[in-house]
Amino acid sequence: MGVFWGYVATLAVYFCIYNIFAFGLNIQFGYAGILDFTVITFMAIGGYFAGVAVLGPAQRGTEIYYIFGWSLPWPVALVIGAVAAGLLGFVIGLIALRRLRSDYLAIVTLASGSIVYGIINNDNKIFDGGAGLVGVSQPFGSHISTNPNTYSEFFLIICFVLMVGCWLFANRLYSSPLGRAMRAIREDVDVAEAYGKNSFKIRMTAMVIGCMMVGIGGALTIAYVTALSPAGWTTGETFVIWAALIVGGRGNNWGAVVGSFLVAVLFNEATRFLPNIPGHPNMISDIRNMAIGGLVILTLWFREQGVIPERKAKFMEIPLRATRAKPGLLAVSASGSDNA
Amino acid sequence: MPDTDTGRTSPSYNSATSEASLGSAVSADSSPTPTGTLLKADTLVRHFGGVAAVDGCSFEISRNTITGLIGPNGAGKTTTVNLISGAIRPGSGHVIFDGDDVTGFAPHRLAAKGLIRTFQISREYKSMTVLENLMASPRNQAGEKLFNVFFRSGAYKAEERRHLERSLEVLDDFGLYAKRNDYAGNLSGGQKRLLELARAVMAEPKLLLLDEPMAGINPALVDKVTEHIIAMRDTLGVTFLVVEHNLEVVERMCDHVIAMALGSTLATGTMAQLRANQAVVTAYLTGGEA
Repeated sequence: MGVFWGYVATLAVYFCIYNIFAFGLNIQFGYAGILDFTVITFMAIGGYFAGVAVLGPAQRGTEIYYIFGWSLPWPVALVIGAVAAGLLGFVIGLIALRRLRSDYLAIVTLASGSIVYGIINNDNKIFDGGAGLVGVSQPFGSHISTNPNTYSEFFLIICFVLMVGCWLFANRLYSSPLGRAMRAIREDVDVAEAYGKNSFKIRMTAMVIGCMMVGIGGALTIAYVTALSPAGWTTGETFVIWAALIVGGRGNNWGAVVGSFLVAVLFNEATRFLPNIPGHPNMISDIRNMAIGGLVILTLWFREQGVIPERKAKFMEIPLRATRAKPGLLAVSASGSDNA
Repeated sequence: MPDTDTGRTSPSYNSATSEASLGSAVSADSSPTPTGTLLKADTLVRHFGGVAAVDGCSFEISRNTITGLIGPNGAGKTTTVNLISGAIRPGSGHVIFDGDDVTGFAPHRLAAKGLIRTFQISREYKSMTVLENLMASPRNQAGEKLFNVFFRSGAYKAEERRHLERSLEVLDDFGLYAKRNDYAGNLSGGQKRLLELARAVMAEPKLLLLDEPMAGINPALVDKVTEHIIAMRDTLGVTFLVVEHNLEVVERMCDHVIAMALGSTLATGTMAQLRANQAVVTAYLTGGEA
């Protein structure tokens, strides 16, 4: 029983983490229309900062170098990871959100992500370069059990609680007037500006919140895997999260959940457990990427809005006051329809 | 839930006594003084490359009036609207709005002060509902502050309810009540134009800039939009600057008309006065080159 449930728990952990990524991207893209083509960078920053906050100081003579090394308790590290990702999002937002729209904004995020990747991969003094961080202790690992299967089940609880927190946060934001203003900006930034919405400030809010959420996902990832290196967050990983959101349905957090399950769990993670074909070591991962690509194309072709499309905003049904005075001082003509 | 739709598709305006349901929501600042200058454009200049699109354009708009801005194609009308609304900055000159120098302000800052514009083509928020389009329009909503959303939801619940009631009434006034839960992108061209005006009502503007509100709509609807604009001035105290090519419409609704040609103000007055003005007539016939 242990092994099977451990396996299920592992997949469930990834499912929860991908949900958090997808919520974060949904706030950026689904709500505010920001084409963040470097989502995975914020996951990495969240993970690295949480990692170096948990790790002890780098030891001299081990050829392993990283900054900080504060030996902090894990919950604090989680916050540090989220804040670090949010700060990077803020800096990239300063460049990308002030003047740029859609495709140009996407290019800037992609380029910024490449710069961050290049720096972290090549400078081995920050997060130990290409080798990455290893040996990050698992949260409460010493108190729980050394059995990895049991631990997965415990860690799943942490992930699930955080995921539910992000879910509630994201939905509250969506249904608030702020979320509505974000969607107005997504629909037409000029009009929203003409109606007094400060599009830079509001999009920056979405950017930073989204990045912090993705950072939380990153902190969970490094805590679970206990290691993170640049090979684990290449540009391709960004598009797995994008694929999840597009297949599931942008603008709808249920869509994000369904997309995460289909793309991130079913297609991405589950196939990692398939046996390798002898003589073709990369076959499985190539097939996986092709399958995800095909799924995105099929979605855009047949169900552009995703499996669970964005829902219409619901408002309380208030009857027009029966005693409503003059049908309105603005009422002009009795013909309600026009044939324009 | 009782169906509130019944009989609303074609609203019948028959109830009598005034409870001033609409007037009550109009803020006190919409027209404290019905006279005086609300907007002053002072020798605005804007070049695009070597072309002076607007070249020394000056005029004033009085409160509580509908001012028309006319002129042949290429006269610089849309550029002038863009300069006033902050979409682009003037090379030189000043815009004074409600007593403040607002030259070069970003559109959202001007909107916050009560200067709202519409665009030449209808630009509704397509994948939001008609009702949501209106709900998104009031200025300075308390619920658009992140802190309030998560820690002080009480700060905007009442406001939200007020906006909702008002939105429904405004939709009723514009004959769009039955469409309130449709996506705005699915409205007809004429309905979209009405939605633009309805949205503007929700923003309670002091000055509303309309860029060719009658472009591409049928004559019956032109009449309807005209009446809505006049009603907004009379009951809500909104001041208008309307760029329009349809001179009959301009004559019918505008208190005051500014004629532009080649980027500057050619003449001002009532439409009747301008019709008799030789320079204006020549400009229309020749584009102003003569």
